[in-house]
Amino acid sequence: MANGAETSVLALTDLYPMVTTRLRSATLGFYTLLLSCGVLFLVAAGLGIHAMVAGHDKFYNVYREVPWGILISTYVFFVVTSTGLCLVSSIGHVFGNRDFMPIAKRSVFLSIATILSGFFVIAFEIKIPWRMAIYNIISPNLTSNIWWMGTLYGIYLVFMFAEYVFLLMDKHKPAVFCGFSGSVAGIAAHSNLGAVFGLLMGREFWHGPYMPIYFIASAMMTGCSVIILFHCLGYKVNGEEMPASMKNALRVTAKLGVLLISVIMFFTTWKMITGLAGRPAGKYEAVMALLNGPYALNFWVFEVGLGMVFPLVMFVRSKGENLKMMLYGAIAMIVGIFVMRYDLVVMGQLVPVFHELGVNEYKHLLSYTPSLYETIITLGGFGLTAFLFLLGEKLFAGHKVEEHTTIHESIDAHEEEHGPVFQPSYAHTEDTTL
Amino acid sequence: MKNYCAIIAITLSTAMPALAAENHGGDVVYTKAVKTVLFSHKLHVEEKKLSCDLCHARNFVMQSLKAQENDDFTMKSMMNGKYCGACHNGIMAFASNTRCGDCHTGVKRGGA
Amino acid sequence: MKPTKHDLSMKNNEGTENVPMAERRHFLKMGLAITGIFAGGTIFSALSVIDKVFASTDEFTDKYPYKPHYGMMLFQNRCIDCERCIAACGETNHVPQEGYRTRILMREMPDAVGLKREFIPVLCNHCNVPQCTRVCPTKATYKNPENGIVMMNTSKCIGCLTCQLGCPYNARYFNEEKHAVDKCNFCFDTRLSLGEKLTACAAACPTGCRVFGDLSDKTSDLYKAVHQLERPIWVLRPEAGTRPNVFYSKDVTAVTFK
Repeated sequence: MANGAETSVLALTDLYPMVTTRLRSATLGFYTLLLSCGVLFLVAAGLGIHAMVAGHDKFYNVYREVPWGILISTYVFFVVTSTGLCLVSSIGHVFGNRDFMPIAKRSVFLSIATILSGFFVIAFEIKIPWRMAIYNIISPNLTSNIWWMGTLYGIYLVFMFAEYVFLLMDKHKPAVFCGFSGSVAGIAAHSNLGAVFGLLMGREFWHGPYMPIYFIASAMMTGCSVIILFHCLGYKVNGEEMPASMKNALRVTAKLGVLLISVIMFFTTWKMITGLAGRPAGKYEAVMALLNGPYALNFWVFEVGLGMVFPLVMFVRSKGENLKMMLYGAIAMIVGIFVMRYDLVVMGQLVPVFHELGVNEYKHLLSYTPSLYETIITLGGFGLTAFLFLLGEKLFAGHKVEEHTTIHESIDAHEEEHGPVFQPSYAHTEDTTL
Repeated sequence: MKNYCAIIAITLSTAMPALAAENHGGDVVYTKAVKTVLFSHKLHVEEKKLSCDLCHARNFVMQSLKAQENDDFTMKSMMNGKYCGACHNGIMAFASNTRCGDCHTGVKRGGA
Repeated sequence: MKPTKHDLSMKNNEGTENVPMAERRHFLKMGLAITGIFAGGTIFSALSVIDKVFASTDEFTDKYPYKPHYGMMLFQNRCIDCERCIAACGETNHVPQEGYRTRILMREMPDAVGLKREFIPVLCNHCNVPQCTRVCPTKATYKNPENGIVMMNTSKCIGCLTCQLGCPYNARYFNEEKHAVDKCNFCFDTRLSLGEKLTACAAACPTGCRVFGDLSDKTSDLYKAVHQLERPIWVLRPEAGTRPNVFYSKDVTAVTFK
């Protein structure tokens, strides 16, 4: 990023004092928060390395029949979030919908932060991650969705990184190119993650085309909530008043959120009905565990209540203007989605593969509860996201989109092609809603 | 299931000797030639109402698990009418080359 | 008009002992065909499975693409859960205490007529369309091109455990000592490649429950056990589409002892 800055707006020598002044401007509270997030991350990393060296089996609660636990579901959560941030923000700065433009920079930055958190968490779930670095390249298996997912997310990360650098440099064209490529890689990677689950025959709860499609829709939904959350927090951290253009961006984001919550509600309804009608073997047991079994609390309170209904009500009631309501809705939704990912990953494994045989060993649903290590590493992932977010707010001065360059450049470009634009669309909301 | 088995085992080990002295020998779990073959005195004496002499006169001595020390305590011998096969011949009781799982209760039943 | 009444009690009972053997066989076959259809392919003759697997591929001049094409038949009613197979496997292949390559499941039916308990041995099915090898990102698990055994290259295993989820037979576990997923390989490294003809489990089995052999060899016991219509043969979890090379059956008549 230093290189990027050097070639465009300022020299490297200016960068150092600029950054230090920005960091000095932060309050004690900010540093306490930053430090605690950093410590949480380091503790989690320490425990993860300890488990890796001493043997995962001693510290994790995953076992032969349930090999994937909360760390995988947290990884899925983070990459869902990252993909969502990328896709929702690309509506603006890649596909040219001006309403979404102000959220671009922070969203792209956060999509990098969240995917790094995802990689951090999964590095401790995979037993021998360093072998992955070698054999993913020299012994690729092209029929493996895991391989495609890993590779595509690698490409995605590179594009998102490049995009952010170009955004910092105010180089609009390469940024759009990288943003577009990143979105494509993100969609491909994320649907492959869905396919990791969806293509497993014999795992009835997952199997089918539903998962890749659902993953993309839920990524968009997550993206909306995370954008609202972090933009509200960002302005709070910087102690600034949100400008009208940003408020308008969040208003349309909430609108999009309402649409996507509805889509996910629709998907979930049919997922459940498919699992009930005709009592399909393997699926029925899992769906019943969610609807009226050991996971009913997770499903009804967290997934449906916090994840869908409450944010839907909040987003609609706020009319896109009441930021507090939107913030509460977004927080509830993120909690709900985290539980959604957990249930999705765990539930698919809880019906034993030999359940239908009717043998004593596999008559009942299996169970899984995260261990202390797994929980702390999960929190460490959140710590890393929070740490990077806080640091980013100060280092990049609130990820401001320089209006005199990005927005106006694009308006100029637009005007060249399509004739004059009377006023930026946010001006309209400024008049009527504030 | 495990607890259940343990409770049965404890009850058997404490209550049975008193009973067995005048009644019957309780459960006998053979460990040779293969692990965990269950002979239930309760089933044979109480439910099927068979007399002690039916087996103990000829095929089995009174001391339990004595039979399994013999080299010919095998399924083949039983097929030839020895030991359990004296009755389990397909006429008096199910033949000893059928219904394996009824006597071979499995290692995981916690037998031996 | 009233239908004529037949008083069945007046008829002589012919008795099943009077039915000739050929008649019985015919009847059994019919039953097999009917159950095969009604079970929606869950129970089917092995011949049809094999045709399904390879019929569409021209390059398989014979039905079996591997030479030898290893497989196993498990006569389920012969298993007595003595667990000699598990012990022999553990010893031969250095399976740690917490893991297993083969296991015996128990099905109990207290209200059943006759036999009330049976044991089902399970192991890697060495599928013709294995899911574990498809999902592995690094080809750490693969189907041996010569004999069709699904094997592990432990040095490539990254421990993502996707193969454990892909396997519909729970045949895989993570071996902390080897730092890789471990599974049954029909004792290829420990016995077959050293000239032995049987796997450790098949050799240790006292009842002849496990018949191991080469399906491409028409004289082998396994070939004869699989290629017949007298007994029903099935595979576990056919709906997973993996086309296993491990078959299950029962001796319909009595067990014979060596």
